[in-house]
Amino acid sequence: MKRMNQTTMRRLISIGMLLILVALFAGLAGTGEGKFFNETNLIEIVRNASIPAIIGVGITYVIITAGIDLSTGSMLALVGMVMANIYVYTLLPIPVMILAGLLVGLACGLVNGFIVAKLNVPEFIGTLATMLIFRGLTYIIAVKNDIGAIESVRMNHSQYAFLGSDFWYYGLYYVIVAMVVIVAIGQIVLKYTRFGTNLYSVGASKKAATLSGIDVMKTRLIAYAITGVTVAIGAIFMTAKLQSTTANLGTDFEFDPIAAAVVGGVALSGGSGDVIGTLIGALFMATLDNGVKMLDMNASYQYIVKGAIIIAVVIFDALYKKRIDRRAKEEGAKEGLE
Amino acid sequence: MKNFNWSKYSKPIILVAFVIILSVLKPAEFLSVSNFISILTSVAAIGIMVSGTIFVFLIGGIDLSIATLLSMSAVVAATIITKMGGSVIAVVIGLLAALAVGALAGLLHGYITTTFAIPAFLVTFATQSIFLGLAQVLSNNNKIACTWPAFAILGQAIVPIIFMVVFALVSWYVLRKTVFGRYVYAVGGNPTASEISGINVKLVSIMCYVISGFTTAMGGIILAAQSQQADSALGAGFTNDVITAAVIGGISLLGGEGTLPGAIFGAVLMGLLNNGLSLMNVDSTQSGLVKGLVIVVAVAFDAMHHADQSRKKAKKVKKGAAAPELS
Repeated sequence: MKRMNQTTMRRLISIGMLLILVALFAGLAGTGEGKFFNETNLIEIVRNASIPAIIGVGITYVIITAGIDLSTGSMLALVGMVMANIYVYTLLPIPVMILAGLLVGLACGLVNGFIVAKLNVPEFIGTLATMLIFRGLTYIIAVKNDIGAIESVRMNHSQYAFLGSDFWYYGLYYVIVAMVVIVAIGQIVLKYTRFGTNLYSVGASKKAATLSGIDVMKTRLIAYAITGVTVAIGAIFMTAKLQSTTANLGTDFEFDPIAAAVVGGVALSGGSGDVIGTLIGALFMATLDNGVKMLDMNASYQYIVKGAIIIAVVIFDALYKKRIDRRAKEEGAKEGLE
Repeated sequence: MKNFNWSKYSKPIILVAFVIILSVLKPAEFLSVSNFISILTSVAAIGIMVSGTIFVFLIGGIDLSIATLLSMSAVVAATIITKMGGSVIAVVIGLLAALAVGALAGLLHGYITTTFAIPAFLVTFATQSIFLGLAQVLSNNNKIACTWPAFAILGQAIVPIIFMVVFALVSWYVLRKTVFGRYVYAVGGNPTASEISGINVKLVSIMCYVISGFTTAMGGIILAAQSQQADSALGAGFTNDVITAAVIGGISLLGGEGTLPGAIFGAVLMGLLNNGLSLMNVDSTQSGLVKGLVIVVAVAFDAMHHADQSRKKAKKVKKGAAAPELS
C-alpha cells in the first residue's frame, strides 16, 4: 500500500512538472497561431516526443534492471545506414529493408546484453564501448559518393517516406500512433507478465532474484535486446521523417531517452518506475526543446538546461528516497514499540 | 608456460608487438625520429589527463565529461588571454582561471556523487551536456584563435612532453608515497571497510574528482596551445581516449587496481594506436571501433579475473586458511 502511494506521488510530481513547463512556455512564448500554445505546435511536440518515448520503452526496461544503455544514438545510425545500403545497392522490396533494420537493432541489443549480462562488464562501460563500435561500423559501411566521401543518403521511396507523415485525420502521424501502441504494449508487458515482474526483481536485488529462481542473465539480456528493437523502430521513423540518413545520425541522441526515463521517475538504482513515466518524461523533454526554440534562445542553452534538469531530478529523487526510507524506519520502530 | 606471469609481462609484450607490426607494415613512415616525437607530443595531453583521472578510476568512479570539460577550460583560458591582450600576465591569469574551472567542476562532481550517493557516470553524463553548452555560449560557437607567443610556447616542441612527465611524476609520487595515495586504493578496494577503519571516504572521493578536473583542464590548455585555438569541439573524442588509455594500462574501472606507470603506458600505446591507424589510412571516425573493442575485451577480462579471485577467496575462507594475502 505504501509503495503504491509512493509511486503515485512520483507520477503526480512528473505530471506537475510537465504542466508547469507547458504553462511557463505558454506565458513566455505566447498562445495562438504560430506561437507556443496552439494545436499545431502541441501536436508537433507530441510528434517530437514519440521517438524518444518508443526507445524509452526499451530504456525503461534496462534501467529497471539497474542497467543503462549509452549506445542508442550510435545504434540509430547503424540501423539507418544498413537500411540505406539495402536501399541504394539492392533491389530488395521496402518491407525487407525494414525487416533488416529491425534485425540489426535486435543484433545490436543482443551484443549489448551479451557484453553486460554474460561478460559482466559494468553497463555504462560496456555500452560506452559499443557506442564507439556501432558508430565506427556505421562509418565503415557508410554509403559513399564517387570520390569516396560520405554523404547523406536520400531515402524518399513512397512506400517508405509515408511513415514520416500523417494520415486520415490531420496531425495523426504514424509515429504518434506507433508510439501509443508500443508504449501501451510496453506498459502491459511490464505490469502484467512474468517477464515484467522479473525485471523489477532483478533491479531490486540480483542476488534475491537468483535465489528465487529467476534467470537474471536471460532477463537482462532480453531487456537489452528489446532496447535494440525499439531503437530500430525509432530509426525507421526517424529516417522516414528525414527521408534521408547520414553517418552521424543520432549523435548525442542517447541523452534523450535516458533523460526522459529519469524525469519520468525511473530510478537509476533499479527496481522502480514504468513506461508511462518515461512517456511523460519524453513529453517534458520535447516541450523543453520546443519552448526554448520558440523563445529564440541560443540552442546551446538547451544543453545546459537539459543537463541541469537531469541533475536536479536525480538529486530530488535521492533526497525523496532518503526521506521515505527514514519515515518507513520510524514507523517500523513505532510499530515495534506498540 | 603454465607458470608464465602474463599480467606482469603483458604490457611490454603488447607494446613491442605493436611496434614490430607497425615497423613491418609501414617502415618508412613509422620508423623515424620525427614520427616518434610526434607520437609523444600527441600523447602528452592524454598522459596529463590520465595522471589525474586515474584517481577517479581508482576509487571506482568514472568521468564521462572529460571531453567537454577540457573544451570548456580551454575556451575559458583562450577567452581571458585574448581579452587581456596575450601578455605573459594574461597567460598566467588565463591558465589559473582554466585550472580553477576544472577543479571546481571536479568539486561539483565529487560533491554530488558522494553527498547524494548518485552514480558518477550519471552525474558526469549530465554535466557533460552542461559543459558543452557553457563552452558554446562562452565561445559564441566560434573558434577562438590564440596564437600569442606566450601561450603557444606551451604547445611547442617538447614542452607538452615535459608537462606530461611532471604531472606523471607528481601523480606517481602521491599514489605511491603518500597516505592519501594509500587511502585512494583503500577506498577503491572496499569503501565500507575504509569507512570503518576511519578513512574519510567522502573527502578522499571529492579530492579525487578535484584532481581529475584539474588535470583535465591542464590537458585542455595543452591541446589549445598545440593547435593555437580553442572551441567547444576541441575535446571531442577525448573521453573515450582517456578511458581507453586507462583500460589498456591495466586500470580496473571497477576500482582499486592499477598503477600510474600502467596508465602512462596506456596513453603511449593509445598514441601508437592512433598513429598506426592513421598511417594505415584508417579514418579517425572508424578508429572508434578498435577503441570500443579494446575497452570491451579489457574490461571483460577484468571482470572475469575479479570473479575468479572472489571465488578463490571464498574457497580459502571455507577451508579456514589464513587471512587473504596482501598484494
